[in-house]
Amino acid sequence: MADTDTTAQVPVTVLTGYLGAGKTTLLNRILSENHGRRFAVVINEFGELGVDNDLVVDADEEVFEMNNGCICCTVRGDLIRIIGGLMRRKGRFDGIIVETTGLADPAPVAQTFFVDEDVKRATRLDAIVTVVDAKHLPARLKDSSEAQEQIAFADIIVLNKMDLVAPAEADEVERMIKAINPYAEIRRSTKSDVPLDAVIGRDAFNLARILEREPEFLSGEDHHEHDSEVNSVSFEVSRPIDAERFNAWISRLLQEKGQDLLRTKGILHYAGDRRRFAFQAVHMIADGDYIGEAKEGDPRRSKIVFIGRDLNRPQLRRGFEACQVDA
Amino acid sequence: MAAVSEADFLLASRGVAKELGAWVAGAVFDRAGRLAFALADGTLHRHAEEGDWPVAVAHEGGLLSACADAKDGWLSGGDDGRLVRVAPDGMVTQIADYRGKWVDHVAAHEAGVRAAAVGKAVHVLGVAGAALKSLAHPSSPGGICFDAKGKRVAVSHYNGASLWFVGAKEDKPRLLEWKGSHHAIAFSPDGTHVVTAMQEPSLHGWRLADGQHMRMSGYPTKTKSLAFTARGRWLATSGAESVVLWPFFGGGPMGKAPTELAGGDEVMCSAVACHPQHEVVAAGFGDGLVLITEVASGKVVPVAPPRGSAVSALAWDAAGARLAFGTEAGFAGFVDLSRR
Ligand SMILES: [Zn+2]
Repeated sequence: MADTDTTAQVPVTVLTGYLGAGKTTLLNRILSENHGRRFAVVINEFGELGVDNDLVVDADEEVFEMNNGCICCTVRGDLIRIIGGLMRRKGRFDGIIVETTGLADPAPVAQTFFVDEDVKRATRLDAIVTVVDAKHLPARLKDSSEAQEQIAFADIIVLNKMDLVAPAEADEVERMIKAINPYAEIRRSTKSDVPLDAVIGRDAFNLARILEREPEFLSGEDHHEHDSEVNSVSFEVSRPIDAERFNAWISRLLQEKGQDLLRTKGILHYAGDRRRFAFQAVHMIADGDYIGEAKEGDPRRSKIVFIGRDLNRPQLRRGFEACQVDA
Repeated sequence: MAAVSEADFLLASRGVAKELGAWVAGAVFDRAGRLAFALADGTLHRHAEEGDWPVAVAHEGGLLSACADAKDGWLSGGDDGRLVRVAPDGMVTQIADYRGKWVDHVAAHEAGVRAAAVGKAVHVLGVAGAALKSLAHPSSPGGICFDAKGKRVAVSHYNGASLWFVGAKEDKPRLLEWKGSHHAIAFSPDGTHVVTAMQEPSLHGWRLADGQHMRMSGYPTKTKSLAFTARGRWLATSGAESVVLWPFFGGGPMGKAPTELAGGDEVMCSAVACHPQHEVVAAGFGDGLVLITEVASGKVVPVAPPRGSAVSALAWDAAGARLAFGTEAGFAGFVDLSRR
């Protein structure tokens, strides 16, 4: 007789957002809705939860640098410890929700799920959900790099407090969000009233779904005034990618510019391979694997997306284009 | 171990094992040699010669850490914030309640002292339960341990370890600094060295006499279990596809290659326990295999066959006659090596 399977990975949702944006309201809504799912919730010390039937863990955010001496290569030590403890009793919950403090940089949380071998084995990052205040976001984006980072890292943005803004204001806020991160899905809400399925179980970090969303790029994106230093660029090429050239280019790029590159995602068609290669990185920490073959007749175009600071568009374009096999 | 049949494992001829149903967080012999298994579901199962093993409910939530209590019985910490004693008869007594915080690590020494890591503090308590002191750290402890005499407690954390004298009038730690996140920690039996396991898969050691640093690296995964052999000549560690032993003699471990024993199955070693008298190391692996290996000869004796789940707890009794083990899936047992 063999031991039972203990390998199923528990999904983790990361909830970020400025204090007062409606993050705790959303969390309370998720926990109190009658959905039959049980969550373990990791909150920061300032959190206030009105629900006590789920497993709530109160933690101080402990951001640890990794030993490579780089300031962007960080993990959340408290999460490694807490997930290690939770994973010994997997049957008790269906998912984990990690709430970050209002000023938190989401990178250490995300990187924890790529870096720590135990966390990687036991859990998978489901999505980063950022709650923003439609009224106050423009001011926040001007004065805070954390607010920009929380948008840049998001897979789903809950654009909250819609009752406090006029339609034109809301459209302008969406434009600002898309200028930073056109790949995030925006859900407008009042009092954080988004359906549970919109934020939980999204599987946004699954390599196979990494560029599933086709963003509506803003027309004339290169010409409008930048509201923030964080931006995104994307490139598509039509000739197959030379794996060696790409690896050399991307490793050097992440090494040199990783501190400014918040998120990188790509789908690549390597020469002589029918399968697609999916790639993602948070700062310098990368992850990649083959996903299914492209559909018969689909164009075999490769695509890469960068979200970050001080992106040198022509240089990145030339770099990616040079990864193609010779014409 | 592929060529070994089930009957060749000591468990078949000299052992007892059961399915206990939850992650085994500790296989713990108390000071009188009574064996209990502490499970992550909050229960403690005491071995009984006859019939069912009695179960004590130590924690309402999960149990995070367990050890032998100072005099007899067991001590455990849980995610319910409680530090609990289970007496040899199974009676559960709450020693402290640190509401809302996890009791991540516990340790006790027969000199009559207990320690519990809670949040960023390590609380030191007497056998009567009185709180003696609370030691503050820059980050949450990754591990705690007493020295052989129970006079000092070593606490690992981010950027190093802190060494405290339990009986000091003024609590000022000796800080052993090394950048990075430190977890499992061990004192050498003679109290001259402290070694920690780190987040980046490597070990770091300090020679206390002169603060000399010792780096021990090359592990494919994190070391979670480390132990010195009886007289402190070797440090046995998990985290590789073999039992990795670092020599703490003849100028080592710096500049010396470690000895690797019982490798070859391409499964990671997940737990080690050193025999209390001989240079013999017990090791558990990621597939549930348990074996004993002699350092000098490298000879391997199979103890328990692989069943698919990693060995999460492993311990010898003080006489070195019994070896107890438990797995993440809740399979637990022991073998008795004494002459019949
Ligand atoms: Zn970095």
